[in-house]
Amino acid sequence: MEILTGLMQGFAVALEPMNLFWCFIGVFFGTVVGVLPGLGPSATVALLLPLTMQMNPTAGLIMLAGIYYGAKYGGSTTAILLNVPGESSSVVTCIDGFEMARRGRAGPALGMAAISSFVAGTFGVLLLMLVAPPVAEFALRFGPPEYFALMALGLSMVVLLAGRSMIKALLAMLVGLWLATIGIDLFTDGARYTFEQIELMDGVDFVVVAIGVFAIGEVLANLSVQTSGQMFPVPKGLRNLLPNWQDLKDSRFALVNGSIVGFFVGVLPGAGSTIASFVSYGLEKAVSRHPEKFGTGVVEGVAAPEAANNSETGGALVPLLTLGIPGSATTAILLAALILWGLRPGPLLIQDNPQMFWGLVASMYIGNVMLLILNLPLVPLFAQILRLPGYVLYPVILGISIVGVYSLDQRLFDIWLVGGFGLLGFLMRRLDYPSAPLILGLVLGDLMENAVRQSLMMSNGDISILYSRPLAATMLLLTAAILAGPLFRQVNNWRVKAMEQEA
Amino acid sequence: MKAFKLLDRSELVAAGLLIALGVFVAAQAWDWPYLTKDGPGPGFFPLWIGISLAALSILLVALQMKDAAAGMAPGKTDWQGTGRVLVGWVAVMAAAALLKPAGFVVSYVLLTVFLIVVVFRQSWAAAAAVSLGSAAAFWLLFVKLLKVRLPAGPWGF
Repeated sequence: MEILTGLMQGFAVALEPMNLFWCFIGVFFGTVVGVLPGLGPSATVALLLPLTMQMNPTAGLIMLAGIYYGAKYGGSTTAILLNVPGESSSVVTCIDGFEMARRGRAGPALGMAAISSFVAGTFGVLLLMLVAPPVAEFALRFGPPEYFALMALGLSMVVLLAGRSMIKALLAMLVGLWLATIGIDLFTDGARYTFEQIELMDGVDFVVVAIGVFAIGEVLANLSVQTSGQMFPVPKGLRNLLPNWQDLKDSRFALVNGSIVGFFVGVLPGAGSTIASFVSYGLEKAVSRHPEKFGTGVVEGVAAPEAANNSETGGALVPLLTLGIPGSATTAILLAALILWGLRPGPLLIQDNPQMFWGLVASMYIGNVMLLILNLPLVPLFAQILRLPGYVLYPVILGISIVGVYSLDQRLFDIWLVGGFGLLGFLMRRLDYPSAPLILGLVLGDLMENAVRQSLMMSNGDISILYSRPLAATMLLLTAAILAGPLFRQVNNWRVKAMEQEA
Repeated sequence: MKAFKLLDRSELVAAGLLIALGVFVAAQAWDWPYLTKDGPGPGFFPLWIGISLAALSILLVALQMKDAAAGMAPGKTDWQGTGRVLVGWVAVMAAAALLKPAGFVVSYVLLTVFLIVVVFRQSWAAAAAVSLGSAAAFWLLFVKLLKVRLPAGPWGF
C-alpha cells in the first residue's frame, strides 16, 4: 500500500508538464548519444550536469536518468545496422543483430531491440521500486571472492560464444585477458606491457578494441568482395520491417532471462551492463533448443542482451539511491549531481526525499514508453540505411568509427590502435577465431585479476577463500557446470556413435 | 611430418604468432614479482595467461595435425581479395596519419575518395558526392551540434 501511495505521488510529480519535457529531452539526447559510438552516457551526463544546477533536483535527476537509459536504447541501432557497437553494452547485440541485418531482417532486429529494451527497462524500474533496500543489502555481501566467482561465471560464457573450435575461442579470450593487463598495475604502480608508450599507461580502452574488431574488421572483410550494389536485402512493407508474432514468441524467455539477469548484475557495483548482456546471452544460448543457431542471426540473440542492458539501469540505481554507492561511471556522476543539489545520498535518501525517488521511478516508466514510441516508428527509417551501396556505407562506417574512437580521449594514438585491431578483427574472421571471447576476456580480465588479488590478500594467500563462501561456491559450481557442458555433449555423441556402430 | 605438410599454412602462422605472444607475455611476467607479502604480485596473472596461450596454441596445432592425418582437415583459408583488404587498411592508416596535419574533414574526404575510386572502382563524381556529403554531415553533427572536438587542420576543420 505504501508503495502504491508512493507511486501515485511519483506520477503526480512526473506528469507535471516541465518534468515531462525534461524526461523527453533526456531520453531523446540519450538515444542520440547511444547511437553514436564512443560518445557514452557518462560523458553526456557530465556535460549536461552544470545545466541541471539551475533546475530542481527532481527535474534534473529525471533528465539525467533519461539520458542514462535512453543511451541503452540507442546503442543497439548501429550495432544491428553497421556492426558498430554504439555503447559498450551493445557488443553482444552485434553478434546476432548484424547477422539478422545481413539476412534482410534488420527491421525485426531493431524492433525486437526496442521492445525488449522497453519490457526489461520497465521490469528494472518495477524491481527498483519493489526490492531496492533488501537487494542493496544483498549486494553488499559481495566481497572480492564473490566477484571472482562472478567473473569466472562470466568467463565460462566463452564456452557458449565459441564457434566451431573451442580452442580458438579460448585463445581469443586469453588474448583479451592479456590486453586487460596492459597499463599501470594498481596494486604496485608498475607498468605492464606498455612498451614505454604513455598512452598505454591507462590500459587499452574496451571501446577501441570493440570498434576495431567488430566495425573496422567487418569493413575490411567486405572490401575483399567486389560489390557495388545494395549491401543487404531490405524487405518492402511495414509489416516485414517489424518483429512478427513468431519473433515475439521465440523471444519470450530471452526477455525474462535478460530482465532478471540484467537487474541483479546491475545491482552489483562495478559489474555493469556489458557483463549483464554477455551473461544473459550465454544463458539464453545454454538453455536454447537450438544453440547452434546462435551467432547466425536468431532473434533471441538480440532480445536477451538488449533486455539485460536495459534492466541493468534499474539495478544500477539501487545501490546509488539506497546506499549512496555508485556502481558505474554514469551513476558516479549521478551521485555527484545528488551531492551538488544538496541531497545526502545514503540509506535515508528515499525516506527524506520521497518526492524525488518516486518522481524518478514514475518518470522512468513514462520515459520507457516515450522511448518505445520514439524508436519503433524509426525502425523502418533506420532499416533503409542498409539500402545504401557498399561504397557509400563502408566509408561512413569508417568515419563513424574514427569519430567515435577519437571522441573518447581526443588521442590520435587510439586511431592507430583501432586500425591495428581492425586488421586483427579481419584476420580473426578469415581464420575462424570468434571475436566475442576476445571482448569478453578484455572486459572481465581486469576485474577478475583485481578480485583474485584482493581475495588472496584478505586470506594471506589461502586459496580456499575463493570457494569456501556459500555465494562464491554456488557461482563456481554453476561455472563448472557450464564448462563441463560441452564435455558431456561430446561424451554423449561418442556414446551414441558407439551404440549405432554396435547396432 | 606428412600431416604437418597438409596443414593450412595460414593456420600454422597464426598459431606460431600466438605461441610467440604467449612466450613474450610469460617472459615479461617472469621479471615481475609472482607473489608478494600481500598476495599475488603483478606477474601472477600474466604468467598464467602467457603459459596458457602458448600451451593452447601448441595443442591447436597438434589437433589440426591429427585431423589432417585423418583426412578431416578443414578447407584452406580463402585469402582471395586480401590484396584489396590490405590496400583499404593502408588507406585507413594513411588517413590516420593525416589527421593531425590535415584535420578530420580533409583526411576523411581523401580516404573516402580513395576507397570509392580505387577499391570500389566507382566514378569520380560518385566519390566527390559521397565524400563531401558525408564529411559535411559529420562536421555538422559532431563538431557543430554535439561539440565533439575532432582534429582540425590549418583551415579550421
